[in-house]
Amino acid sequence: MADQILFFIEVVVGGLLAGTMYSLVALGFVLIYKASATFNFSQGAMVFFAVLAFVGFMQDFNVPFVLAFFLAVFLMIIVGLCTERLVLRPLMNQSEDTLLMATIGLGYVLEGLAQAMWGVEVRRLDLGIKDFPIPWIADNLKLFISAIDLTAGIVAFGMIIGLTLLFKYTKMGLGLRAVADDAGAASSIGIPLKHIMLLVWSAAGVVALVAGMMWGARAGVQFALVDLALKALPVLIIGGFSSIPGAIIGGLLIGAVEKVLEVYIGPFFGGAIEGWAPYVLAIFFLLYRPEGLFGEKIIRRV
Amino acid sequence: MSSVSSNILELKNVKVVYDNVILALHDVTLNVPKGKIVALLGGNGAGKSTTLKSISTMLASERGKVTGGTINYDGNSIEKQNPSQMVNMGMVQVLEGRRCFGHLTVEENIISGAYSRKLSRGDINQELEKIYGYFIRLKERRKSQAGFTSGGEQQMIAVARAMMAKPKMLLLDEPSMGLAPQLVAEIFNIVKELNEKEGVSVLLAEQNTNVALKNADHGYIIETGKVMLEGTAKSLLNDDKVKELYLGISKEGRKNFRDVLKEEGKKRKKRLING
Repeated sequence: MADQILFFIEVVVGGLLAGTMYSLVALGFVLIYKASATFNFSQGAMVFFAVLAFVGFMQDFNVPFVLAFFLAVFLMIIVGLCTERLVLRPLMNQSEDTLLMATIGLGYVLEGLAQAMWGVEVRRLDLGIKDFPIPWIADNLKLFISAIDLTAGIVAFGMIIGLTLLFKYTKMGLGLRAVADDAGAASSIGIPLKHIMLLVWSAAGVVALVAGMMWGARAGVQFALVDLALKALPVLIIGGFSSIPGAIIGGLLIGAVEKVLEVYIGPFFGGAIEGWAPYVLAIFFLLYRPEGLFGEKIIRRV
Repeated sequence: MSSVSSNILELKNVKVVYDNVILALHDVTLNVPKGKIVALLGGNGAGKSTTLKSISTMLASERGKVTGGTINYDGNSIEKQNPSQMVNMGMVQVLEGRRCFGHLTVEENIISGAYSRKLSRGDINQELEKIYGYFIRLKERRKSQAGFTSGGEQQMIAVARAMMAKPKMLLLDEPSMGLAPQLVAEIFNIVKELNEKEGVSVLLAEQNTNVALKNADHGYIIETGKVMLEGTAKSLLNDDKVKELYLGISKEGRKNFRDVLKEEGKKRKKRLING
């Protein structure tokens, strides 16, 4: 019995740690959703593009790890800059549907560019962290927690806290929240929308890079990362599109639930249900609580 | 007429088209002298908001375009400017319907007005205290979420936020909208105080002709995108046509709707007989 409980805890903890990464990626979506009121379908392609560039710099040009990381960050800022200048600015004041289609198109461009530059084969990414249980925890708590899961969880958690502080306490953050509330009013008092857009897309780019590195280290840097990143969609449906805490909790929830379902119910379906189980959960939310757990209700005075 | 240098804002024969087809302003010519309050009056759809947006260059975001005439602010043409450049040049618009940032606190709303200025934390606090001097009510509510404050408070937040940008000129779009008369008076008092103590010039679009003219120095009346009448605020308040059309007072005293209908009926009968 004790063993079963321990095993259950292990599954949940593993799920939560994997979930922090979903939270982080979902945060990238929320930022863009808040600033430009569109769901950024190219986020998955950004993950693929960013980490492939990072690995490409290291393996094809023998750039050291740290430098490759900063080069990739720089590249993602350039991508953000180009997106603002070439896609968003010409489409300013167009309908949300137009913007949505534009992000889908942008996704294909990024996928194509990444493969044209670095090739199509799956690449191995070694961060020097093993996908094995950490001995100390295994010995003392009798829990088998993978080192890479724990690292990913800590990194994602740290970035989430960093971003939250950035938005709460900096001038740029105040500008972003103002734009998210009312872009027209924000521009009437001189908050330049293009700076805010650039900030948001760069932040989403860096988030994409980090998520890509963590996922790539486990399963290889490959095209499937695009779909993995799109798991932020059920996360957002559950958490609420416009809510930062919602993205964080939604990510953890999806992470834990999909692992539990995979382990305990998966065998009845022949396994591998964690790919689609979150979407089923999302459909239930759409039916019974469409604004999500933390979706911002529109403030109305009575 | 006043000389060129004494006007902070000059519009000459301005024409505005929306979506390339809808002509919203036909011909608007108006001046705002430095340090004065000018009222722009007219009913719904007369072109008041469009005039203000053409000045703050916020037309582009609504697919509108100035297709004729000139707009000069502080001696320069504003043709190639964008809203944030206009704010940097000291021209700030308070949009119709207040448009506070509902999820931000009152204080965050006001501080966001200083975004265009490079201020240290200390300077911001100093400016805040100065602004709270004018808007005492807001100081009490500084920590509340702006979305939950009253309509009057939201209007004050919008004006206070604009003042944080240290404007030379304010464009106010219907500050009285949907507010009780007492609050309207309070807000106009604050605007007047800001005008006198901070030297801010004001162009004010209003439907509430009475209150606007009582607080302004000069007035323009526009209808269907054209300036129909202009004059000092005093002369407009005493003008018979203005009284009848905008203040509801005719030569014979207060007129009510039934009288107007009766007159209309008489005219129609006459027309039927003659026709």
